[in-house]
Amino acid sequence: MTYATTVIIGAGQAGLAMSYELTALGIDHVILERGNIANSWRKDRWDSLRLLTPNWQTRMPGGAYTGPDANGFSHKDDFAMRLQSYADMHSLPVHTGIEVQSVTLGPFGYRVHTNTGHFDCRHVVVASGACARPAVPKLADCLPRNLPSFTTFDYKRPSDLPDGGVLVVGGSATGLQLARELQRSGRQVVLSVGEHVRVPRRYRGRDISWWLDTTGLMDRGYREVDDLARVRRTPSLQLAAGHETLDLNALQAEGVQVVGRLATIRDRHALFSGALRNHCDLGDLKLGRLLDHFDNWAAKHGSERDLPRAQRPVPTQLPDAPRLTLDLSSGEVSSVLWATGYRTDHSFLNLPVFDRRGRLEHDGGIVTAAPGVYVMGLPFMRRRKSTFIDGVGADARDLAKDMTMQLSGAIAA
Amino acid sequence: MTPTGATPEMGGFETRGWLTRAVRKITRGVITDTPINPNEDISMNEQTPIAIDNGVNVEALLGARQAISQMPAAGQFTWRATCKWQTGVHSRSPVEGFFGLGEDQDRGASFTIDADHPAQFAAGNAGATPLEIALSALASCLTAGVASVAQNRGIQLNKATSRVEGDMDLAGVLGVDGGARNGFNDVRVEFDIDADATDAEIAALVAQSQKRSAVFDIITNPTNVSVSVA
Repeated sequence: MTYATTVIIGAGQAGLAMSYELTALGIDHVILERGNIANSWRKDRWDSLRLLTPNWQTRMPGGAYTGPDANGFSHKDDFAMRLQSYADMHSLPVHTGIEVQSVTLGPFGYRVHTNTGHFDCRHVVVASGACARPAVPKLADCLPRNLPSFTTFDYKRPSDLPDGGVLVVGGSATGLQLARELQRSGRQVVLSVGEHVRVPRRYRGRDISWWLDTTGLMDRGYREVDDLARVRRTPSLQLAAGHETLDLNALQAEGVQVVGRLATIRDRHALFSGALRNHCDLGDLKLGRLLDHFDNWAAKHGSERDLPRAQRPVPTQLPDAPRLTLDLSSGEVSSVLWATGYRTDHSFLNLPVFDRRGRLEHDGGIVTAAPGVYVMGLPFMRRRKSTFIDGVGADARDLAKDMTMQLSGAIAA
Repeated sequence: MTPTGATPEMGGFETRGWLTRAVRKITRGVITDTPINPNEDISMNEQTPIAIDNGVNVEALLGARQAISQMPAAGQFTWRATCKWQTGVHSRSPVEGFFGLGEDQDRGASFTIDADHPAQFAAGNAGATPLEIALSALASCLTAGVASVAQNRGIQLNKATSRVEGDMDLAGVLGVDGGARNGFNDVRVEFDIDADATDAEIAALVAQSQKRSAVFDIITNPTNVSVSVA
């Protein structure tokens, strides 16, 4: 068969949720997956990774978590297995081992070219993920040649790195988790952080996920924020699975040395920004406003009794004079780990859908320049939770509805 | 730039005149008004358009922000000064035009900065030292940011003063100790602000002004500098 009304590219949570919605609507479709279901979860992440959201929040459409550990945090491989059973349970039409090479215009709308032939279709749903590639800054090229460096795709476990100190670059969830893991492996970690989003794991007896969900922040829509481009660029929350807070104070208590944003590499020296204090102040202030929002919500909803008042986290502690340089040839660090974020890879779209910086242009997942093309799973795509497992259901429902309207329009015409 | 942190550097000079005109010129037919959504968000700050006046034209700044996001070339500026040796360690730097918004701009005035060293350095004392001018540049850039951010957040600023200090070891510039740095080892700015706002809001003004300050950036981060002889 080489025709389907809709071709979904990628069998992660987003692609599977979309398939579930299309199945319910009776729209014939296929999911093309380069590897196996949940391939990125299985292959492209580090060994110890567990979900940052508690199990109760794993609410795939028609597949909410029903296990015994609602407040636990699943290991990535367990979650991958759950996605596999989800696809099996709903008989979703997943074709594994099919690599999409390009998407072009075609006789019915679009043609999806793969390593095993092509599919013609009316709709294409790009669900290949927001984290398809590691993003590494240009200055990585300036590292001394003999200093091994790793991306978060290369890194699986501490023993992948040579013994000795390691410079971890990046102050988001990934950077902080890996800094902790490497420090605990007996390596001295120097952690370079710029602007970051600090949150406590728990507040007033509840998990941060409960607060974000209950107070409506996860459902905030993309048209409801006044600077969408900036919100979409906001780094991920500093979080790790479990009930402990992972922030710069916690890491420093374990011996991690915190330095400012890596500004440049010059004469084999890494130079760090002197703005670390400001970046931490910004994070602390933003944290304060978030907790104010929670407190106001609790007061307004008469929930004060269920939510015991809690201490605010102490401000981020820093040395009086954080170091500004690191001699990369001194042996103090024997490797560098870039935890500097992820980027999409939509290069297979051979369609005029990119802005001047090469990013896919879309309006809440609807690729306006190519009617019938949709994207899923991007940061704040339709709502704050668009990149969360919990968010793909609502996005899939919205986009499937748009597809249905397109199809009925086509029939009426 | 963020809506809550209009470029402090633009708050430093007359924003009601040329900037408004220039923005209007480059935005003609390009920009439509986008309403500011009052919904608060965890990653942004409340915007409360009330009748307060810090003397900052926020509308012009937000217009410039939007114009430059659509026409990035308009945002490429080159700032200039000339510097002429007088005698001893005294020099004089007039500043006049600059390049921005696609063409040379005339500010319609010339300002002069004198730099010298005090009598303790056996010098003529005809102006502040370049180090003090750098400290003043930092503090005034941050102050412009505080005023701009306050205006944008609907905060009336009644008073904003700051004390800025930079520590240095003279052994560096005099070549006494090769391990000593020429420049500052530590710079501290302490603000004293009276505004119609809570302590947390004032702290946020000061933090945001650093985040969007050009001089704070060039002091805290390395910059390539090339010096040549014509």
